Order: sequence, then C-alpha cells, then structure tokens
Amino acid sequence: MSSLRQVQFLLGKDLRIELRKKESLVSMAFFGALILVMLNIASGIGKQVAAENGAGILWVAIIFSSVLGLGRVFAREKENGCVAALLISPISAGEIYAAKALVNFTLMCLSELVLVPVFYVLFGAQLSFAPLSLLPILLLVNLGFSTTGTLISAISAGTRRNEVLLPILLFPLILPLTVLAVKATTAALAAKPFAIVLEQLEPMAAFCIIFTTAGYLLFPFAIRED
Amino acid sequence: MSENSPFLSISGLCKSYGSRVALRGIDLDLQRGEFLCLFGPNGAGKSTLLKIIATLLRPNAGQVRVQGYDLKEQPEQYRSRLGMVSHQSFVYQDLTVLENLEFYAALYGVEQPRQRALQLLEQVNLADRYDMPAANLSRGMQQRLTIARALVNDPALLLLDEPYTGLDEHAASVLREQLQILHDRKRTIIMVTHNLRRGMESATRLGILARGKLVYLQQKEAVDPSTFEQLYFRHLEAL
Repeated sequence: MSSLRQVQFLLGKDLRIELRKKESLVSMAFFGALILVMLNIASGIGKQVAAENGAGILWVAIIFSSVLGLGRVFAREKENGCVAALLISPISAGEIYAAKALVNFTLMCLSELVLVPVFYVLFGAQLSFAPLSLLPILLLVNLGFSTTGTLISAISAGTRRNEVLLPILLFPLILPLTVLAVKATTAALAAKPFAIVLEQLEPMAAFCIIFTTAGYLLFPFAIRED
Repeated sequence: MSENSPFLSISGLCKSYGSRVALRGIDLDLQRGEFLCLFGPNGAGKSTLLKIIATLLRPNAGQVRVQGYDLKEQPEQYRSRLGMVSHQSFVYQDLTVLENLEFYAALYGVEQPRQRALQLLEQVNLADRYDMPAANLSRGMQQRLTIARALVNDPALLLLDEPYTGLDEHAASVLREQLQILHDRKRTIIMVTHNLRRGMESATRLGILARGKLVYLQQKEAVDPSTFEQLYFRHLEAL
C-alpha cells in the first residue's frame, strides 16, 4: 500500500476525532482570542497600534494558542498505548510524522480562520488588510511550527512533564521563524510592497525545509521506547 | 528458505535498560504453526522479549529472524503480518468500535476494511455494539475489541502479553476460541503469562523464562501437566 494512503488514513482518523470532540480546535481558538482581547485591553481599547506592535500581537496569539493543539495530538496516541499499535503496524515512523504534522498544520489553519478576523476587528482600524501578503506568511509559519512542533511533542509526550517541557523546548527552536514572521507581517500590515515581504519569506521557507527534513529524520528516534 | 527452516529464529538475544539486564542471551526456534507459551514471574523479561519480536524495542545484541529475514530488513513488510495483544488495548477511546477496527484494517491494507471489521465484530460477539464509542465499553468488551484489533490483518505471527488479565469468563472463552481457530490455520503464536492453567490449555510448546534466561523449553506432550507447577517453581528456585 502506498505511503500516501497510509498518511491519509492516519490524518483522516485524527481529523475525525477532532471534528467529533473539538477539544484542540475550540481551546486553540478560544485561548488565542482571549490573548487578543487581553492585549487589546492592555494597549488601550480603541487606540491605534503600530504595524510592528500589531504583528507581534498577532503572532503571540497564534503561537501560544497553537501549543495547546500540539500537545493534544500526541497525548491522544499515548492513551491506551495506541502509539505502540502504530509502531507495530506497516506504517513507517516517517509516515506517522507526516500525518501528525499535517494534523497540526490543519488545526493551525482552522484556528487562524477565527484569530485573524478577531485580530482585525480589535486592532485593524489603522492596519492594512493585505490577504495576499498575509496568506503566505501564515502558511509558512504553520508549516514550520507544525513540523518542528510534531517532533518536539513526540519527545515531550514520553515525559511526565509534557505540558511544561513542550513550550520550553519548542519556543527557542522556532524563535528565528517567529522573528522573520513578525518582520514580514509588519511589512504586510503597513501596506509595503510585496517585494519587502518576500525578503522575509525566503529565509522562512528555508527554515521550513531544514526543520521538516530534520523532523522527518529524527522522528523515528523520538517516538521509540529505546 | 527450506521447508524445515524455522519460522522464527532468535539467537543470542540480549537487552539491558541501563544497568538492569532484562534478557541474557535468548536462543529459540519456532516452526510455523507452533503455539509457544512462555511462563515466568514478574520482571523475568517476558514483555521485553515480545517487544523485541514486535520491533518495538531494539536488542543490545543478538538477532531475530522471521522466515529467514532479519527483522531489521523490511520491517514494514514483516509488521504487516504481525498481531499483538498487549497490556494496553491499543484502542482509540473517541472512535466507535467499528471505526477502530476499520481504521486498523485500512492501515494494514486489508481489502474491504469495513467488511473485515464487521466480520471480526461477529467473531468476538460485539456486533450489536458496533456504533458505541470504545470509551463506553466495559473492561471485558474492551478486551474483546482488543482481540479483534489484533486479528484484523489475519496475522501470521501473533504475540500475546498476559492476554487473560482482567478478562471475564465470556471474554476468556472468546479468546480461547479465536486462538484455537488461528492455531488450526497454522498461525504461529507466542503467549507470555504467569497463569499456568490458562497457558497450558492451548499451547503446543512450553517454556520458562526467569531472570532474562530461557531456562526450560519443551514440547507440551513431553510434559506431565500435573507436575508442571512443581517443575516451574523448581526452575525458579534453582536461579
């Protein structure tokens, strides 16, 4: 059976559970929106925010809320030893990694469908709405975050302090991606030409390639017991 | 591979967890269709041995060959014909009984996964609970679902780690029945347990594992069931 079909089965199973329980998605969207509301109150309701601050606020909400989803995807596999069932099945560790990263990527995209409009409602009065510039930034961060996060959540899922260890290990690793995303988003929110956004997108794409490859290669060691 | 070559061949298998030695050089050959029951006290290395055969753990030394192939070569192909019942159910609590079996059947590349899942539910008497979330099943029913899950790919090699633990009489009889069907169809089975009575019921070969060593291995016909318990304790005390 093709690898793609096996990834599809695993992805389909995870999304089916998520759509039924809505545990990760609701908590991600709710927590992210809560952060945006708190930062809106802190910066003064109705006050104008600069593009730099706006970009920082958006990414704080997305990154912090996305960690909730990451932890849950692997915690579900740990229940009843289901991860062992996957490891003794014909699916390879690389295929498990691809499926889990795709689940995280999908959850991030869906939560951003809520968070980006909330951000614009709360902070967007003076900011440029540039969906074509913002979309590639969001997709690249989602890709980089989900691939790196999948590896780290597999490592931390095997420990007793999973919830604490995951952000401690993950945030330093994705710092370069976050910094580049904030710069690119600042340019997009300030309605600067796309060429300026593109300058940040290129290293972001490089980050994604490096971390996706590293994640794929290291995942079999992270997920095994020995 | 010749006709007489063993289906499963284990040689010099060693495994340590840090300074604690779990297996000290296990050698074992099994022919296709044999049903080996390994007895041993807690910490004897029974689960470790099964985990290595299932490719969940890597040995520190030694080799496991199945049908002539080293487990390290083409593990995915080997695993497609492997089944395992462990201490844990391997069942997704948020999926229904049917969805669980259908998912595993699809993952193993079974043709018509839904039909296979429904067939197995009939076999383990869970057909009337097909749409129930696995989380809502009783312990015995969960165990029956676990047995069905392990059989989803019609395994050539079935590994059972204390499968009778927590089973009610009904679930135990379902398991016995399924094991008999598999044995009649020449499937190779390895079961580890410390329940001597249950283990002796269906096995064709009996072994005793103690302190990481296979200290006894014999065909069941050569063993007197009435004295096996004494023999078992004698081997444990000798170490």
